[in-house]
Amino acid sequence: MTRRLPAQAGEVINRSTPLSFKWDGGNLSAFEGDTIASALLANDKRIVSRSMKYHRPRGYLTADFWDPNGFVQVGDDPNVRSGHRLVENGMTIDPQNVWPSLDYDMKAANGLVGRFLTAGFYYKTFIKPQAMWPVYEKVLARFAPGGTVDLDTPHGYHDKRYAHPDVVVAGGGPAGMAAAISAASLGARVMLVEHEHALGGHLRWGNAEDRRLLDELRGKVEGAGVEILTNSTVTGRYEDNWTAIVQRSHPIAVERLIKARAKVLVVAPGLIERPYVFTGNDKPGVMLSGAVRRLINMYAVKPGERAVVFTGNADGDAAIVDLERVGVTVARVVDARQGENIVVAKGGAKALDSVELSDGSVIEADLLVTAVGWTAPTSLLNMAGDRPVYHAGSARFYPSAEIHNVLATGGIAGDGDADQLLAHAEATGRLAANRAAAVAHRVQDLTARALPVQGPEPTWPEDDRQSLPRDSHPALFRSTTHGIVDYSEDVDSKDLVAAAKEGYDSVELLKRYTTATMGPSQGKLETVNTVAVLAEARGETIQEVGTTVWRPPYAPITLGALGGRVFEPVRVSSIQSWHEANGATPILAGAWVRPDHYGDPAAEVTNTRTNVGIIDVTPLGKLDLQGPDVPKLLNHLYTNKWSQLPVGSVRYGIMCAEDGVVLDDGVTGRLSDNRYLMTTTSSGAATIWEWAENWLQTEHPDWQVHVTPVTSGFTSINVAGPKSRALVSRLVDNVDLGPDAFDYMQVRSGTVAGVPNCFMWRIGFTGELSFELHVPSGHGLHVWTALLEMGNDLGVKPFGLEAQRIMRLEKGHFIVGQDTDGLTKAPSLGMNGLIKLDKDDFAGKPELAWAMEQSLPSLVAIQTTDPAEVPTEASQIVRAGTNEILGRITSSRMSPTLDRSICLGQVLPEAAPAGTELTIVMIDGRRITARVMEHQAHFDPEGQRLRG
Amino acid sequence: MGVLQKSKPARYSAVGLVRRGLRGDTWPRVWREVPLKKSYDVVIIGGGVHGLATAYYLATNHGITDVAVLDKAYLGSGGSGRNTAIVRSNYLTPEGVAFYDRSLQLYKTMAADLNMNVMFSERGHMTLAHTDGALRTMHWRAEVNKLQNINSSVIDPAEVKKLAPSLDTSSHPRYPILGALYHPPGGTIRHDAVVWGYARGADARGVEMHQKTEVLDITVEGGSGPDGKGPGGTVTGVRTSKGDISAPIVVNCTAGWATLISDMAGVRLPISTRPLQAAVTEPVKVFLPTVVVSGSLHVYVSQTDRGELVFGASVDPFNNYSVRGSLDFTEELASHVLELMPGISRMRLLRQWAGLCDMTPDYSPVMGFTPVQGFLCDVGWGTYGFKAGPVSGEQMAYCIATNETPELISAFNLSRFAAGELVGEKGAAAVGH
Repeated sequence: MTRRLPAQAGEVINRSTPLSFKWDGGNLSAFEGDTIASALLANDKRIVSRSMKYHRPRGYLTADFWDPNGFVQVGDDPNVRSGHRLVENGMTIDPQNVWPSLDYDMKAANGLVGRFLTAGFYYKTFIKPQAMWPVYEKVLARFAPGGTVDLDTPHGYHDKRYAHPDVVVAGGGPAGMAAAISAASLGARVMLVEHEHALGGHLRWGNAEDRRLLDELRGKVEGAGVEILTNSTVTGRYEDNWTAIVQRSHPIAVERLIKARAKVLVVAPGLIERPYVFTGNDKPGVMLSGAVRRLINMYAVKPGERAVVFTGNADGDAAIVDLERVGVTVARVVDARQGENIVVAKGGAKALDSVELSDGSVIEADLLVTAVGWTAPTSLLNMAGDRPVYHAGSARFYPSAEIHNVLATGGIAGDGDADQLLAHAEATGRLAANRAAAVAHRVQDLTARALPVQGPEPTWPEDDRQSLPRDSHPALFRSTTHGIVDYSEDVDSKDLVAAAKEGYDSVELLKRYTTATMGPSQGKLETVNTVAVLAEARGETIQEVGTTVWRPPYAPITLGALGGRVFEPVRVSSIQSWHEANGATPILAGAWVRPDHYGDPAAEVTNTRTNVGIIDVTPLGKLDLQGPDVPKLLNHLYTNKWSQLPVGSVRYGIMCAEDGVVLDDGVTGRLSDNRYLMTTTSSGAATIWEWAENWLQTEHPDWQVHVTPVTSGFTSINVAGPKSRALVSRLVDNVDLGPDAFDYMQVRSGTVAGVPNCFMWRIGFTGELSFELHVPSGHGLHVWTALLEMGNDLGVKPFGLEAQRIMRLEKGHFIVGQDTDGLTKAPSLGMNGLIKLDKDDFAGKPELAWAMEQSLPSLVAIQTTDPAEVPTEASQIVRAGTNEILGRITSSRMSPTLDRSICLGQVLPEAAPAGTELTIVMIDGRRITARVMEHQAHFDPEGQRLRG
Repeated sequence: MGVLQKSKPARYSAVGLVRRGLRGDTWPRVWREVPLKKSYDVVIIGGGVHGLATAYYLATNHGITDVAVLDKAYLGSGGSGRNTAIVRSNYLTPEGVAFYDRSLQLYKTMAADLNMNVMFSERGHMTLAHTDGALRTMHWRAEVNKLQNINSSVIDPAEVKKLAPSLDTSSHPRYPILGALYHPPGGTIRHDAVVWGYARGADARGVEMHQKTEVLDITVEGGSGPDGKGPGGTVTGVRTSKGDISAPIVVNCTAGWATLISDMAGVRLPISTRPLQAAVTEPVKVFLPTVVVSGSLHVYVSQTDRGELVFGASVDPFNNYSVRGSLDFTEELASHVLELMPGISRMRLLRQWAGLCDMTPDYSPVMGFTPVQGFLCDVGWGTYGFKAGPVSGEQMAYCIATNETPELISAFNLSRFAAGELVGEKGAAAVGH
């Protein structure tokens, strides 16, 4: 059976394009322009879902985006608003939350025990036996509402857009259109954002006069140079009118997030019709007047055969006209303004068959239409700090405060005839445009201080709008019977009253206890009725009870749109292609991918210690420091002294935070009088740049220092091993590399493999004779391959991070963040000679002065008694025979050079003296013994090799 | 002491539900509404889980019932109702482990103790490692935990996938899952129920709960600061929006507002207040059976029995008292969550909010006595206050009743900041949950 009516004057469906789709396994037809809801109703499918708790059959209530009963699964898309989503040809749509089927749902048995499943029932039961709760929990979890996520859903395309309009108008009804037109006429750049698929708001389902006005406004707004976004929602207003708009109508993106810095935001969302609370109000066949009018006028769907209309306002009256026009028998009009009331909607579970009135009469009907008033969706204003105020005469909330850059117009601001509303909207548009201009002037003034001020600041445009009248409206929230208040949470008014009596009697407690208003529409339909029921239970006014706070987003937004392209770049050096082509095993180090090894890290160690090895150390943080006050900055950041560093020299230093905890370490070289190159750890590159800038900008703005991060500007290669000098000298021709001319801890600049402007310094982490080359990054690969070619006879081989880690551990060099942790202070490192307390103030000095007097944990070299045992890093060191922790292994490896296991560890002072026997708890629980070594270096403690 | 009007506690049970359902009876008030008195033995400022647990254990363990709990809004309106309800005990330091493990034990028996189902879901807690450095930290925590007999171990990506099939454990380019610290006793709990359960239990023993009662000042005599406040002083009571109260003991359990309240007594705290944001999606059928945390991606996620995904993150990087959320937070959150679970891009974010965290320099709380006699603190709870609620209440009650600091919280005294004896939880600074 079809419920499709003959052509209606305002219909939005295109009858020349029929569509077919699948619903619950069966094939149905629709027209282009149909929502899923209108298509299902046109096919006489009146039951669309089952309720969350009692699994009661539910039909459409509002038949729009906010319909609490209209959630369906469309393919891999769960929780689709069927009152909003348009039907596409071939769409597969399924009901959610039903088992085994929409028609016969076993869980509807819950309804039989409904009176025991009062709100919060789960807090009062499943308490004993405690061991059973996990079992109950699993059962309850099966009752979770909502659709199903297909975990193989592709991420899809989601870009983001930034916009800087003068005015964003949220809501494209008559008021929003009029405001946009008048703002644009004053030259403002306007974005008009409409939640529905087309502009027009309630005019779209109105009468002939409404349609005439709609055509006129649409024509004007389309010619006004306004950017129109339909099927898009302003979901949030954040600080300084940072406005989030979700665009569902983008041709490619599933959903797109537009971030707009609106100088002025105009809030014109219209009003949301409120349901009425009475027994049976969730039976399929009970609908709001707006739903009925949308179905008839926009979609040409006949919503029923015989109707009772409960009306308290002009919209209800208009619904009667529409119903009668399309041949629905209006069996009875129940006029709330005459004191009439409806009491119970009766019928079987699946359909309404009659309505009981307060006068006791029972009217047969398959459709009950209610028109009891509206809720003002003040969310965007709330997000700007406004708290709505209740106005008893018109039985709804209004915005309260005047916010300078957020203006409300349309139904949310008041009532009146079309002329009054349009006049208010036009005045709002003018005010918005003028204020946007004033804001623009202020911004310009702030950003262009250096320029002469151009004329006086314009006066701030005052709000001269005439406020809209507030029509009186009967206060219609709940009838004399109890019924559903929150459809999506299956909470009825009896639950709310009971919860209030139990003491959950503030609106926030009530919400948390009963879950009313916590469902997918976040209270847009339910909040005011919840407040009204609570006020009644407490004997207070609605204003005294107040509302809950609306928070973003106004309409739910997909994680895909928020996440965007999920663009997390991976950094690589200019040599990466070579690494990949030559069998490097990659490792992720911070944001960088680098070679862990090229097949055999132990062999790489041996070759470097015997011949020569090269490693790509590009991720080393590099900061170019220039200016006369660089020594002041270095003295402040490092714990040692920097005033006397000669040009051509390099020095090692440790940096501490203000709490004395080790932040980073590295070397800085003086390239010329006023120019230095600082290297930081790879992971500390960004942190140390910010750290330096923080001191310069907040504490020492007078210091003349420029800090430029150049990490990616240079490709860095360390050439290490006894034959490194021989190799490097083959590539460098204008620098004397002789041991006397270029000593350890010195820096030179020169040409490497024909590449000018390279820096090289004699420093290395491996403990071998080393030359670290910093090559302009475009030439990195060239220098790398040149080294390999020129050093073939010297036995040059690349080595990776793992070989470097082994060699540094052999040398006892610590790694910040591995051998130190968030509490390791500099004196724990055994390098107190580098902490110069006789220096002027430096970062961490007061704390270090204190810490030097304390006995702190120490970093020591450790060797296991059994040379073959390599304790996993993080293995704990305990007092023998107990579980008392004395320290932990921070680094451990098998040393190819020493052919034994070697470790670094942090231990308490009592366990730090050389020769102390330690007990290590292996990861498998075994306990082994080990010994604290005399030197931190396991190999070449005197450093003969690197000075060679 | 006046005669205490004790409410008759009605036992919650399935039988009770059926009986009342049949009769159509409602349940008695969960806690009474009574007028504020002029004096109490103990005034607790802050009606969250810490304040209420303190009141409850004062009454149950020590028989001290002339107690008022004051809250400027409603019970549980602060961090107790804004957290992501995760509990665990796999901390890094022995002090931390012992303390949080006691809390976990109290949570385990709480439903029976309070006769209220707090829905403790021992679903396991997984902290993912995306770098070898993070994996090392996981091993560190696991090894410390094992020595303390805490069930905690490092698992490999295959085991991770088995426990949470929605996670992308492929060789992901940017944030590969290299393993995880797995803590089976961790899980989630219904945070509001904990608040209500303690309030109900305390009420049944005579404690008074006063909502919408804001503390305006704390009265102190004999202190070295202005108005006789500050070190050396003795607390005499509080001034509230509903009248003055005299009390020899005043306890500060106000989390994000801790420094503002402490300042009223002239006690300075090394605490800064930062917002912590969270968000929740629409419900879908349950697919994520454990709690998943990623330090590198600054996100933690669990799925409620209702089917919503609850997300949290790290604290905002600046001091602020605002509880409005930011757009950037949701964007970053979504992109990070999708790194972990690419299949959920069509799920929709339903609501975002923020709470206030009272951060200390060493990621550990400030508990016990202060330089003002009679003024005690249970603050500095940062991002981990909810999971510590029960044990904090128990230990603070002991502190108040015996005038002695119990061993379990001795490391958390205020004087540690002057003595330089910070607690080592910051050692493995990562996202806290």
